[in-house]
Amino acid sequence: MAISLKESIQVGLSDFWSRKIRSLVTVLGIVLGTMSVIVVLAMVNGINQQTLSWMMERGGLAKITVHRNWEYDGDGNERDYFTLKELFHIRELLPEAQFFNPETNDWGRITYKDKFYRNRVQGVVPDYQYIEEWTADRGRFISEFDIDQNNDVIVIGSTIKNELFANNDPIGEFVTFNNRRLKVIGVMKHRYLKNNFNVGNDNSLDYLNRRSFVPISTMVNKITGKDVINSLTLKAKSPEAAPDLADKLENILLNIRHGENIFNIESAQEEAQEIERNAQTFRMVFFLISIISLLVAGIVIINIMLATIQERTREIGIRLAVGARRFDLFIQFLVQTILVTFIGGVIGVATGFSILNIVSRYLEFQLIAYPGMVIAAIAVSVGVGFLSGIIPAIKAANLNPVTALRYE
Amino acid sequence: METVIRFENIVKEYNMGKISVQALRGVTAEIQKGEFVAIMGPSGSGKSTLMHILGCLDTATTGSYWLEDQEISKMKKSKLSAIRNHKIGFVFQTFNLLPHLNIRRNVELPLMYSGMSAAKRKVLAEKVLADVGLADRLKHKPSELSGGQRQRVAIARALVNTPTILLADEPTGNLDTNSGNDILSIFSDLNRKGHTIIIVTHDSAVSERADRSIKIIDGLIVE
Repeated sequence: MAISLKESIQVGLSDFWSRKIRSLVTVLGIVLGTMSVIVVLAMVNGINQQTLSWMMERGGLAKITVHRNWEYDGDGNERDYFTLKELFHIRELLPEAQFFNPETNDWGRITYKDKFYRNRVQGVVPDYQYIEEWTADRGRFISEFDIDQNNDVIVIGSTIKNELFANNDPIGEFVTFNNRRLKVIGVMKHRYLKNNFNVGNDNSLDYLNRRSFVPISTMVNKITGKDVINSLTLKAKSPEAAPDLADKLENILLNIRHGENIFNIESAQEEAQEIERNAQTFRMVFFLISIISLLVAGIVIINIMLATIQERTREIGIRLAVGARRFDLFIQFLVQTILVTFIGGVIGVATGFSILNIVSRYLEFQLIAYPGMVIAAIAVSVGVGFLSGIIPAIKAANLNPVTALRYE
Repeated sequence: METVIRFENIVKEYNMGKISVQALRGVTAEIQKGEFVAIMGPSGSGKSTLMHILGCLDTATTGSYWLEDQEISKMKKSKLSAIRNHKIGFVFQTFNLLPHLNIRRNVELPLMYSGMSAAKRKVLAEKVLADVGLADRLKHKPSELSGGQRQRVAIARALVNTPTILLADEPTGNLDTNSGNDILSIFSDLNRKGHTIIIVTHDSAVSERADRSIKIIDGLIVE
């Protein structure tokens, strides 16, 4: 009968405790390796999640945006903006777009009595609120009627409301923007991104609270006086439908601009896939680095275990003399190495989580660790123990009992 | 009388690079059950080599060796550990106890490798340690004991598996005269109770206790 596994573990544990410092030095590589894997992966997951939730907040994955293509290097004869008429035409060609919002901006002062706030005002259509999933929470947003009538109305962001009106009700009041008197009809809902990564800075969505909105017709016909529309956002019926819609839109735009690549079309779905691909690449690279660091840890373990066995040659001789089989010794030293790396893996995971715990108190940002990461980290530690334990264990098992007993 | 050990024409050759050295050059003898035998000889005579072969720690280059009814010289090396575990009890000059285990656990060691449960091992180890007068030292580490006490622990460890033979290699070599005599008395007692004992020594005071001596010089039995 051989020595049981339980017995091997007991022998291994008592060896671990009777050589505490050496055991700790042995596992240090594993501890640091698993710790950094946990911390870095949790951060990568967190940043990823952050980007995706930002995209969800900004209209979700079905959103498609059209801007001027800044890399376009044509002869300059093609127009790099849309007219309202062109946009109505494009809209008719894209019935599958659920929402459609042409947009043009103007900068300037919004003045109320003796106060003013300088920022961007956007000319939009009612679809804007459905694309951005954001609307007025006091008063109302811009309506089709406002568009038809070129109404002099404005919906202001929460920051502007606070700056110009403090605690007073702005609805029904008049403000002036670039010499145009506009009636305030609504205040936009305050925007705030949870799990924000920008430590100590503004919230990543706060810039939206500084914006205001007017009907696009009012903007074009009364404020700027120019039928120039710079950008367009659409929403497909689903994220899956977005790439096809983006393709179709691209064809239309190429058509109306005679094959010139003047506009750049971005699909949130494709961006999200790009982000996921980048994250995958990062994980791959980090995985390789981890493998190398664990390999180094494994080599250190082999070295220390070989030294340990050298030092315990006589003990091995004694065990052989009282009837230990070679297999018993092989198992004993293999189990001991695995035990050491297992303990190292557990310590590494525990310290990794403590670090995440401490760091997450100072970051306004979620660190995401999955149970799978813990299992993987410990499994890899045990794997390293197994691989680096084999050579020393074979060496121990193959000692000659007579020479081992004579070893001084 | 029942023959416990029989070996014929045992030769042990060591290869040291290009030259080979014969430590045993064909030795033959028998040992009966219940005998107390001293293997005598100066250092380098081959007596330790013979003990290693009898103790199944090593194998002969040629020749045959029977322990009871088993022909050890034809066995695979992997079987020898079981023979050492069940049939042989070793006592060494330098005690060879494991320093980080207490003495009870040292004595339990052969039982652990024979697969006995921890509870049974404990009872048995405590009984054997009581037999050698160490019932009150169970939790002590070997370093906390005197040389004579350590050798008694080693004897307890050798006896705990009720072996067929007890092999002792210069068991008094590291002890003062009094402790040495104590240990030899234990061996005599054990022999009277029926144990077969083989002591390797170069000390004639030791061999005087034995029923007979096998003398080895230059790898050959001379008497």
